[in-house]
Amino acid sequence: MWQVYFKELTELMRDRKTLIFVILLPIFIFPVIFGVMGLVLSSTTSKAMQEEHRYVIVNAEQAPEFRDAMFYHKNFKQVQTEKTAEADLVAAIRNDEFDVAIIIPADFSVKRQAVEQVQWQIIYNQSSQFDFMYRYFTDMLATYNEQLQRETLNQLNVDPQKLAAIIKPVDAKKVDTADKRENIGEKFGAVIAYILVPLCLLGASYPAIDMGAGEKERGTLETLLICPISRISIVLGKFLTVLTTGLVGAMITVGSFGIWGAIIGSFAGMAVVQEAMSAIAITELILIFSLLLPISAVFAALLLAISIYARTFKEAQNYISPLSVLIFVPLVAAMMPGVELNAKTALVPVMNVALAIKELIKGTADYMMLALIFGSTLLLAAAAIGFCVHWFQQEKVLFR
Amino acid sequence: MIDIQELAKAFALGKNNKLSDTEKQDVRYSKEAFHSVRKVSFNCGSGEVLGLLGPNGAGKTTTLRMLSTALKPDSGTVLLNGVDVLKQPVKARQQIGFLSADTGLYGKLTAYENVAYFGRLHGMDEKALKQRIDELFTLLNMHDFANRRADNMSTGMKQKTAIARAVVHSPKVVILDEPTTGLDIMTVQTVLDFIKSLKAAGTPVIFSTHHLDEVATLCDRVVVIDKGVSAFSGDITQFKALSAEGDLREAFLSVLQGSAGTQQQGVA
Repeated sequence: MWQVYFKELTELMRDRKTLIFVILLPIFIFPVIFGVMGLVLSSTTSKAMQEEHRYVIVNAEQAPEFRDAMFYHKNFKQVQTEKTAEADLVAAIRNDEFDVAIIIPADFSVKRQAVEQVQWQIIYNQSSQFDFMYRYFTDMLATYNEQLQRETLNQLNVDPQKLAAIIKPVDAKKVDTADKRENIGEKFGAVIAYILVPLCLLGASYPAIDMGAGEKERGTLETLLICPISRISIVLGKFLTVLTTGLVGAMITVGSFGIWGAIIGSFAGMAVVQEAMSAIAITELILIFSLLLPISAVFAALLLAISIYARTFKEAQNYISPLSVLIFVPLVAAMMPGVELNAKTALVPVMNVALAIKELIKGTADYMMLALIFGSTLLLAAAAIGFCVHWFQQEKVLFR
Repeated sequence: MIDIQELAKAFALGKNNKLSDTEKQDVRYSKEAFHSVRKVSFNCGSGEVLGLLGPNGAGKTTTLRMLSTALKPDSGTVLLNGVDVLKQPVKARQQIGFLSADTGLYGKLTAYENVAYFGRLHGMDEKALKQRIDELFTLLNMHDFANRRADNMSTGMKQKTAIARAVVHSPKVVILDEPTTGLDIMTVQTVLDFIKSLKAAGTPVIFSTHHLDEVATLCDRVVVIDKGVSAFSGDITQFKALSAEGDLREAFLSVLQGSAGTQQQGVA
């Protein structure tokens, strides 16, 4: 068995394709992808925050303080219009004449005098992804409301010392029980699993194809089969090689993720990444790795079984591509909001590992659950290896 | 000493497998299975070279694969120097060297590593292995490219490496499945010289071929397989006697006609 293992490893190490898939891809391409994604996302957000919104106010003279506040706000730009009716304003916004219209009723100041509540209207397109404009508007309106409240209360001769308490009788201060790590873990934990698990599959698939279908295609399988070693040893030797590359791929990914995380985190504005990375201790990394071990074994056995069945390299690739798409289904399910690790989800393969990785990064993992996941995945792996061994002894598989 | 009695092997057919008209005429097809080899018997003594002849698809490769334990026969016996191949496949494999024209090498490994890998799989210890490889590389004049990767070798170099690989464990029987098909003249000569050297060393060789000149120069015994049945088995003089002028081609054709005749009688 070890003879097969070491020979396969030597062969793989001399193969440039393995180096690309197992080592270079995780080291360089993934940080690049995430760097670009982060950059695009953050730049569009800041662009949306800095955008100028063209506005009109109908009956602006009714609320001069508000009019001035809006005029001097850096994100708003006044434009002129003759339109006053709601329907006309809607049409104008659709025609891109301006972005937002605020209608103050003509009798606003009269009603103010009588201390009556008044309704304003704000008309704008709400389909935008980043609704910063409305946030600015409500901030300004809140300030304006408070200003009016103070005026009214002053007119009623209320003690100015007590104004704050009257305007806002109760003030709540937020104390978060989740520490920063739990917050970050909730957001990034699932993403990390989303990267790690497919990489275990990706790292293992090329060598698996090479060792099964590749061996058939080269004509070396027959000579291997008539060597005086049992077919079980051949399968296990090959299986271990596939497992090794899968795990090495995963390890390099985790490592490059950590290093790149630290590098990107050292740039200004990316402190979140740095904090998330520093919170993860060696124990967690070892636990993550020990969960990846059995799931990689499942992948290795499945890939090898497919590859042995296929006649050629190409055929094997055709069989494996749907498998790699299928892998994402449980991973996406684990990312859904509200999906949590419990006795039921701990028994769903792949998804359980993804959830456990999330919990580990959050620092809230239940060790009993981890043991359950490890055990169930190990059982699955044993079954998959058993199938692979059985498969390798079928003449109809080997000589198709 | 190799003794094969009444070997048979059938391959199950898929349910949706529609047989073509020519396949329907082949007596070996039944509804469920293709009886590739039905009744093959022959024997070969030490130092003898046995040529396995037959049309394409006659069952030669299947027979040799059963002989080399890659496939398991449905019935029949194979004895290699008294070892029952079916009952003790691992022990039998230690005695077999196998080579075919399309036997591949591991492209990423050097000639030395390719040979050494199979030597180790055959359980040879490092010292004996090194000595044996040195011996073989001298014999086959391979030292020049011992450390070259198989991917960068010429066909001749590859075939020499494949030969060294097949006999690294000093097998007691050597099985060659169409070892010269598709090779250039120089490489064919390497293979033929190798068969001669085995014969000189007293190792029995079984090889399948389509080249009657190879049979004429090398073989002591001839077996003709047609439609999964050994239609002829005997020594080369008996085979030559089948034709009036001692022509091998005529002899071969007369065996095929004879077997077709008996089969038709059998059907009728």
